[in-house]
Amino acid sequence: MPAIEVEALVKVYPDGTRAVDGISFGVEDGEFFGFLGPNGAGKSTTIKMLTTLLKKTSGKVAVSGHDLDKNPQSIRRAIGVQAQETGVDEDLTGRENLELMGHLYGVSGGQLKQRVEGLLKLVGLEAEADKRAGYYSGGMKKRLDLASSLVHSPRILFLDEPTTGLDPQSRAAIWTYLKDLNRKEKVTIFLTTQYMEEADRLCDRIAIIDQGKIVASGTPSQLKTEIGADVITITMPESELVDHPERREEAMRLLEAVPGVASVTAFESGVSAYVRNGGSVVPDVVRALDNAKVNLGSISLSSPSLDDVFLKHTGRRIRPEELKKPGRSMMFGRRRRR
Amino acid sequence: MGLLGESYYFFRRAIKKLVRNPIVLLFSLIQPIIFLFIFTQLFDGFANLPNWGQIAGVTTYLAFAAPGIIMMNAFSSALQSGVTMVDDIQSGFMDKVLVTPARRSSILLGRMMADAVRIIVQSVILIALALPIGAVASNGIGGIAAVIGIIAFFGLAWAGISHSIGLRTKNQQAVFSAGFLLTFPLMFMSTMLVPQDLINRDWIRGVSQYNPISFAVNAIRSLMILPFSSWGAPNWTALEQSLLVIAGIAVLSLGSAILAFKKVVE
Repeated sequence: MPAIEVEALVKVYPDGTRAVDGISFGVEDGEFFGFLGPNGAGKSTTIKMLTTLLKKTSGKVAVSGHDLDKNPQSIRRAIGVQAQETGVDEDLTGRENLELMGHLYGVSGGQLKQRVEGLLKLVGLEAEADKRAGYYSGGMKKRLDLASSLVHSPRILFLDEPTTGLDPQSRAAIWTYLKDLNRKEKVTIFLTTQYMEEADRLCDRIAIIDQGKIVASGTPSQLKTEIGADVITITMPESELVDHPERREEAMRLLEAVPGVASVTAFESGVSAYVRNGGSVVPDVVRALDNAKVNLGSISLSSPSLDDVFLKHTGRRIRPEELKKPGRSMMFGRRRRR
Repeated sequence: MGLLGESYYFFRRAIKKLVRNPIVLLFSLIQPIIFLFIFTQLFDGFANLPNWGQIAGVTTYLAFAAPGIIMMNAFSSALQSGVTMVDDIQSGFMDKVLVTPARRSSILLGRMMADAVRIIVQSVILIALALPIGAVASNGIGGIAAVIGIIAFFGLAWAGISHSIGLRTKNQQAVFSAGFLLTFPLMFMSTMLVPQDLINRDWIRGVSQYNPISFAVNAIRSLMILPFSSWGAPNWTALEQSLLVIAGIAVLSLGSAILAFKKVVE
């Protein structure tokens, strides 16, 4: 039985925005599945619908075998959710946060105590467990939040950009926990991210989502090999691109004619060529452009990344944006931050 | 786990937050304390009116005003309750709770039980401050207990309005402003601080008479200053009326809060 089944899911907001535009996908039991896309692509909207927080406009959703319309309560019992905002209560200690969530999931007594200890250990917050979460750093809060979504030992975990806004160390720590959860405890994970590296490292399979639609899906290596063995990325001077936009088109035409080039895509600051054997093609590419007097900014050869996959399918690059949260004020406007 | 069990966890959380931010509790006490200690002295001269004792039922202005000031606190404190809801929505805590299988209604119920406790604690502090300086409690502990019971009920009824505003606007400033706009006119055009018979302007007297605040204030004032032994049928009727008025407000405001909450939940 698949853990998540989604068919023609649509969300239209009251203002007419089609945030999710008819997506279909499935996640197998035990799979680590990723939704990769830029800000505003519809990732959060999708996760909110799948986790019963937001009403869908149309489509069919089943999570853990339960129909979303008929049985949201069974879905809630089966899943753990970490939202984009860390919903920890800053006036409660780390331990109290976990205990509260445990109680709400119906876990109690010795079982809860044991689970809480185990989770504090898992996310490395034992030493700070009895300090108020308001004094935690951003990374610690995220870890606490992750722990609290696991308190009832869910078999399916939804994570909405779990590492956005974190420093590299915290990010790496979270990656380790997530990998362990998936590999060792066989928890099915559905994750959204705007970081290629995150999707690449963690996910068994990903779907690339842009403007409410899934534009490509498969294993990261499948997606990358689909576009060619190597990518030649050529940037052009900005002045040239602004004053002579036709030069970019000319460059694309020239590149397409070079033997060994499979396809060419334009992006903001230049063009990318997907080639079968990069090393031997680069000299031809440079020669072709040079003969036509196209000014070059830089030229680089690399293996394709998921970013190239995204570029190939959307004509744009993913530029991760850090979350800009509205100023969170405590009761009566007091702020407590660290 | 039952509704009450789940509500209890939300209640306990709210109480913990309150204990750890005592400033929130004390902050809203500042205004009623100023009224209790300074305003009552400023208007002490009311008691020199020839028929004051007859109009007010007590000899000093402080003894008359104290029940009103205690109610004033309950009113303004209740009208700030919604701020906490907004905080939970903005912080993401609400979403976190909404993905759990806990009953939706327990979130509101637990929160409102904590609102009632907050108002009771504040009222006990104010009564403890008011009694030594001249407030009267003619019906002893029993009377005070009844007063606090009514105040808690009154507070809950108005807290619903505040939660409703908080849930609908998701804006703390809106909750504060609405609370302020409601408290000021309703408070002054009531029998909170001035006996009905001393109001000259007919329209203000009219507003004061039918002001829902007046019903509640009159009830707790009788409970505090008039010994039960001398209560007549009109006093009991007044008490019943005040409870009915508060119940009416409670039904409206809680209904509105529950509807607003359902919208958020969707």
